[in-house]
Amino acid sequence: MQNSDGLTWAILIATLAMLMMAFFVILFIVFYQKRQLHQEKKLHEIEKDYQRLLLDTALNSEETERRRIAQDLHDDIGTMLSLTKLSLNQLSKLVADSGIKEDQIMRKSQALVEETILHVRRITRDLVPTTLERFGLAAAIEEFINKLDNSKDLKISLISNTEDSPRQSQKTELTIYRIMQELVNNSIRHSQCSMIEINLHVNSTIIELQVTDDGIGFEPDAIKDNNLTGLGLLGIESRLAIVDGTINYEKPKMGGSKALALVPVAPAIDSKPEPLHPFRRQRVKI
Amino acid sequence: MVLIESYITFIHNHLIVCLAVFVTIIPLFLILYRKANVDPSFYLLQIYLITKLIIDLIMFHYATQRTNNLMYYNLSIPLRYALLSGMFYYKIESAVYKRGIIYSIIGFVIFSIWDIFYSNPDIKDLHNHSMVAYATTVECLLLLFWILAYFYEIIRMLKIPNLLTFPFFWVCSGLLLYYSSFIFIAPILHYTEKWENPLYIGFLNLVPYIFETLCLLFFSIGVWIFSIRYYAKQ
Repeated sequence: MQNSDGLTWAILIATLAMLMMAFFVILFIVFYQKRQLHQEKKLHEIEKDYQRLLLDTALNSEETERRRIAQDLHDDIGTMLSLTKLSLNQLSKLVADSGIKEDQIMRKSQALVEETILHVRRITRDLVPTTLERFGLAAAIEEFINKLDNSKDLKISLISNTEDSPRQSQKTELTIYRIMQELVNNSIRHSQCSMIEINLHVNSTIIELQVTDDGIGFEPDAIKDNNLTGLGLLGIESRLAIVDGTINYEKPKMGGSKALALVPVAPAIDSKPEPLHPFRRQRVKI
Repeated sequence: MVLIESYITFIHNHLIVCLAVFVTIIPLFLILYRKANVDPSFYLLQIYLITKLIIDLIMFHYATQRTNNLMYYNLSIPLRYALLSGMFYYKIESAVYKRGIIYSIIGFVIFSIWDIFYSNPDIKDLHNHSMVAYATTVECLLLLFWILAYFYEIIRMLKIPNLLTFPFFWVCSGLLLYYSSFIFIAPILHYTEKWENPLYIGFLNLVPYIFETLCLLFFSIGVWIFSIRYYAKQ
């Protein structure tokens, strides 16, 4: 009987020990896996941040390069063209009495130089939207619309409520401006539309940019899958990823297409706009 | 009428033992309700639960008639091992383990049949038929090994986003608890479950039944969180 009791106790203790071990095994597996997944998530976030940083750097480099080219065009080519124009003006006075043919050639040369100066100015403005830096998003978009209205048979309108809103950070404004440029250019190039409406609304938390057209519309997923044609849309998404923004494309039932970009508000820190070429304007201290 | 009365009396006197029999209906019903049998492992679990329920009911009937029913339990051991380890065959990804499971099933079936004859020299004497001496212990060891091997694999591969919502984790946990409680009791069942001169171990005799019920409840949780949509993602 005593042996039986002893055996019972021994088995009971062994069973309890084994059960505790089993519980610990289950708990260990649950916690281990949770921890591993947490770490994996963290690693994924670091990788995502790194990708974002890379993208940010690439876009910043692109903007800096645009700025440099614009500065070179403005300072070098622009100045030289102005000087050429001046020289031609002086020369035209000298050859005024030489004959009709010489005068015609001179006038043609002057007209060509003036046209070239205008082209250089336009390219410079396209490269760096100085209006955006000086007067803000609405003014820059209006300028962009005016330029397009001059060249295309198309009605483009802007509805904006940004007058009373504070200026946004340079990066945010530039991102919205470039997205608007891409969306409008896409509509003009591909949608065969006759009307484009741009809505820009800023509230206390979100900046909403909506570009609507009355064209043939498109399937965003199908376009994104196409490596060549989807680059523009991917570029928009890349730019938005940097400022934590999102974009949603719709194909309204009445036709056309609608793109709605949402970007969190990032008010500008009060500072002067960056010069076109920061390195050129630095004064050498002796 | 007398039969029903004997059933009720038996249930009244052996509530914990009977609970382990009738709770089998819950996971079985849930497997059919949640259509979990689309997964091969859960299909095997369904077959196991059906055979378990049938054998348990036969044993329950004979127990109420005070007839030795251990022959059915002994016969259920190789079948139980084949079905339960078969579940791991479909879940474990390692080819070595898969081969090991197949060999272990073949080996264990042969071993348990040998054990039945070894533990019962006079096999025709059904009245004094006793429980196998080693097969249940070996079964416990083998199944604990496959459960731990499977746990090791899921830790290593980290394919499951949340274990607590993974149905087979609950099945494994139930089996781990059941076989952990059973491993030290199994070797002495040969001496306790006898018609004549049994060894009395008191409450300890009920421990496997308690954990069998717990195991079945764990199965039920696993089956309840199973969904065909989830299965399609596997």
